[in-house]
Amino acid sequence: MFASLRLALLGVTAVVQGLGVAALFVHDHPAGRVAFAVPALVTLLCAVWVVRRRPLPKALVVGGTVAVLAASSVATEALPPDAHFGPAHWSYGLIGWHLLLLLLDRVPVLLAAQAAHVVLSVTQWVLAGAPERAEIGSAGVVVFSVTSFQLGVLVMSRILLRNARRAAEVAAERERAATRAALAEQWEQDLRAGFAGQLGATLPLLADLADGVLDPRADDTRLRCALAATQLRRLFAENDDVPDPLVHEVTACVHVAERRGVEVSLAVSGAPVPVPTDVRRELTGPLAVALSAARDRARVSLLRTEGEVRVAVIADAGVDFGTVTGRVEVECGTYGRHTRMEARWRTS
Amino acid sequence: MADELSAVVVDDHPAVRAGVAYWLSSGTPPIRVVASGEDVRAAWLGEGAQADVVILDLHLGGPTPVLGDLRRLVEVGRRVVVYSMRADDDIALQCLELGALCYLTKAEGAEHLVQATRAAAEGRPYTPPSLAGALAGDRSDHRPALSAREVEVLVEWFQSESKEFVAQRLGISLSTVNSHLERIRIKYALIGREAPTKAALVARAIQDGLIGVDDL
Repeated sequence: MFASLRLALLGVTAVVQGLGVAALFVHDHPAGRVAFAVPALVTLLCAVWVVRRRPLPKALVVGGTVAVLAASSVATEALPPDAHFGPAHWSYGLIGWHLLLLLLDRVPVLLAAQAAHVVLSVTQWVLAGAPERAEIGSAGVVVFSVTSFQLGVLVMSRILLRNARRAAEVAAERERAATRAALAEQWEQDLRAGFAGQLGATLPLLADLADGVLDPRADDTRLRCALAATQLRRLFAENDDVPDPLVHEVTACVHVAERRGVEVSLAVSGAPVPVPTDVRRELTGPLAVALSAARDRARVSLLRTEGEVRVAVIADAGVDFGTVTGRVEVECGTYGRHTRMEARWRTS
Repeated sequence: MADELSAVVVDDHPAVRAGVAYWLSSGTPPIRVVASGEDVRAAWLGEGAQADVVILDLHLGGPTPVLGDLRRLVEVGRRVVVYSMRADDDIALQCLELGALCYLTKAEGAEHLVQATRAAAEGRPYTPPSLAGALAGDRSDHRPALSAREVEVLVEWFQSESKEFVAQRLGISLSTVNSHLERIRIKYALIGREAPTKAALVARAIQDGLIGVDDL
């Protein structure tokens, strides 16, 4: 936006400079010609950067400003005393455009340079000879018109720039919001997919119950329901933000068993260690199975030693799902009236 | 009944004092609660000063455990069973280090309390399941070296709360389970600060042939 504005300004400056050629020959003077060449050169130099939409180098800005102000002074000086602010005074209107072109992004400096230009021109005019009242009037009109027009351009450009910046900010914020929404949706989908994968025995059980294939009063159905409830409860606990997620998940499983009327004694020992989510799943999965098989009493323990995390269930009834080896080792056994299940994970 | 065991109960809840007194008196043989109170003065004054065992609640009306009171009792040779609301491994290990003969959580019930009190009256340690868990999970640098079998006994006892089950699982006798647990406690008694109860415990273990003098 800023680059486009300055490109427009470059065009205006070039046109105004071209139109000024006619005024140059009203009072032809060698100094006047030199003074005319300087702003033309500055315009050309600026064009090198402006056309490529690059910011102007500082040296060009400083040098150009000083050069055009000096050129204005020289051109004004070359005028006869009665020609000030008249049609022949080409430099007065033109230099303001150069200043705008050079200093559009440095508003305080631009205002100072414009003021300096006005003061310089007026001072030179006054020094050239006491002006008459009518001359003062017409000069005042010229100074006021030119200056206010150029300041008007400045104000409009600032407003345009501010609006453009706001629009860009709004667009960026909208884009960020859209990204956030997309991420949240992705996360929810992942969660859903994860849930569906973790639902385990629940969906077929619900389908069988709905179809009337299973008898809700049968022991086996009740056992399967107990297991599904425990698995669901464990799954819900999995995503909770708690300081000790493993204890949280174990406690969740225990709560389901207690709601069924099983008397559970839970013990936790050893300082907490970080356990990855999938390992937690492997540790608490067998716990859910063993605990949902318990009838009246169960002992659940979680022990964290130097190199191991061990989750164990001793219950009055259970399912023996043999021995599982892998990252988490699961061992099951029946000892007299008790069944025992232990899942062990080596931390190191 | 001169040889009847006696205990003093220090707990800030009257219901707990009454409950403990009832549990101890209804065991066979019964243990008589000769004094009880809401602060530790009960264990220093009157009949309480002569009681065989002090049953001490660690949180007497405040958030900080009364470890100082425990240390002073143990220093004069009192046999203390710590009876606490909280299952905090670090506090449990600290109590053992100070010389308590047992750390029992209130969730663990009458049977363990009666056994712990009876053992303490004889100057023996008692290791309930929660304390076994604390010992098995002990990761401190100065912990004693336990044999693989000793660790298994601790873990199995913690997991099952049943010594019969431990014996069956490991294929050893009930008395072997007990002597493993006692030997572990002796190893713990040999570390850290000295206390009369800990010295007595070690001396008794040597007398019983549980450990040799060479093991020290």
